[in-house]
Amino acid sequence: MGRTLKFNIFRFNPEDPASVARMDPFYLEETEAMTLFIALNLIRENQDPTLMFDFMCRAGICGSCAMLINGRPDLACHTKTKDLPGDITLLPLPIFKLIGDLCVDTGTWFRAMNERVGSWVHTSKTFDPQEEEERMDNALAEQIYELERCIECGCCVAACGKANMVPENFMGATAFNRIVRFMIDPRDERKNDEYFEVVGNEDGIFGCLGLLGCEDTCPKNIPLQDQLGMLRRKMGFSQVKHLFRALLPAKRIAK
Amino acid sequence: MTAGDTRACGRPVRTEAYLDLFQMLTGIVLVAFMWAHMVLVASINLDLGGGRVMNAIARFFEATYMAQIGGPLIGFIMLVHFVVAARKMPFRAREQKAIWRHSVNFSHTDTWLWIIQAATAFIILIMGSIHMWTVLTSLPITAAKSAGRIQGGWWFGFYLLLLPVIELHVGIGIYRIGVKWGYITRANRAQLHGFDNRLTFIMIGIGLVTLLTFLALVKA
Repeated sequence: MGRTLKFNIFRFNPEDPASVARMDPFYLEETEAMTLFIALNLIRENQDPTLMFDFMCRAGICGSCAMLINGRPDLACHTKTKDLPGDITLLPLPIFKLIGDLCVDTGTWFRAMNERVGSWVHTSKTFDPQEEEERMDNALAEQIYELERCIECGCCVAACGKANMVPENFMGATAFNRIVRFMIDPRDERKNDEYFEVVGNEDGIFGCLGLLGCEDTCPKNIPLQDQLGMLRRKMGFSQVKHLFRALLPAKRIAK
Repeated sequence: MTAGDTRACGRPVRTEAYLDLFQMLTGIVLVAFMWAHMVLVASINLDLGGGRVMNAIARFFEATYMAQIGGPLIGFIMLVHFVVAARKMPFRAREQKAIWRHSVNFSHTDTWLWIIQAATAFIILIMGSIHMWTVLTSLPITAAKSAGRIQGGWWFGFYLLLLPVIELHVGIGIYRIGVKWGYITRANRAQLHGFDNRLTFIMIGIGLVTLLTFLALVKA
């Protein structure tokens, strides 16, 4: 311990016409078990009360403190300063709308994503609160839960080369993860073609470059790589069947 | 958007799925061709530059018309692969700036590998075309003719650049096909990527030895 840490923090307030985007330096004595959450709060308390950043849970659960830490998207609350060099650069997540300094609006983006992928169980059954809950195999329930752990922090989107190139439309790994979560859920009655309609295009899974920025940065360690691969294979190979149907005469298919 | 809406009623556009499949298939064909090509050309080393094995292989491919037909076909597949894969490349200045800034800040191996793959694609398109034109317009292929070109000087430098560029593109390409199509998973990624990297270096090594054999041992 005993290091003096230098923080280079992005500053800009889009609400203030006089504000100019800049990097402000702050210096802080490192203490034991210091996280970026502690450091940023100390800076705001003692050095600059106008510094904007988001925190809620301090425990890697709410996903609101994601930022670029020396270029890498991660949660500030579970990043210890002892794992970082003495010079720490903090930037807001790219792609999402900037609220100010290190604050971004991930909520609007994720709301739109969830609506786009139809992020709920699509069923024709009417829910009866009196009826006993439908049983599910434990292994499958755990598999669904594993993908359900996404905290919507936005790190996978910020780490995605494709999303950085075309920030307007690309769905990102979090959306693909959501889709697979419902695909493997037997209660969801959507067919492959319905999923294909949402994700079977360049803004969806076929636009994914497979750079694995998402896989390598997800703070919850969700197996995103495996979902991307499975989704591409399922969506891609199911189209081969359609291709043959389109190429071969209808009568031969009928036989 | 509401639950149970009518999104799936129309016929979905499948073109982008077909193009992605086609990119993968042409990629696999070209990777297989490049590795086979390397091994066959390296046959010059088997009799220490004597050229008997390589000439016999070349005669076989010409007698069966595989060189005359297969050669231009590979050239065509390469062009198609470039066009299909280039859809993913950043051609607009804003996109180029964004991916470069992201790569530099992020400092992430797989992101850099893609940058290398995209950059080498352009070099291969030009230099690969030059190589194919030169070889296919002066058939038959013989060890002496190949050695003559390389011992001329300029072609040695040409192949010294083309060799690592192609092997890197091919090695990264097959790794990324595996990742994108879910054959390389979280569980086997480190192991298979390590294997792929070793294979790439072995291929570059074989290529370098072969080039030196043409330069020093084969009679032009």
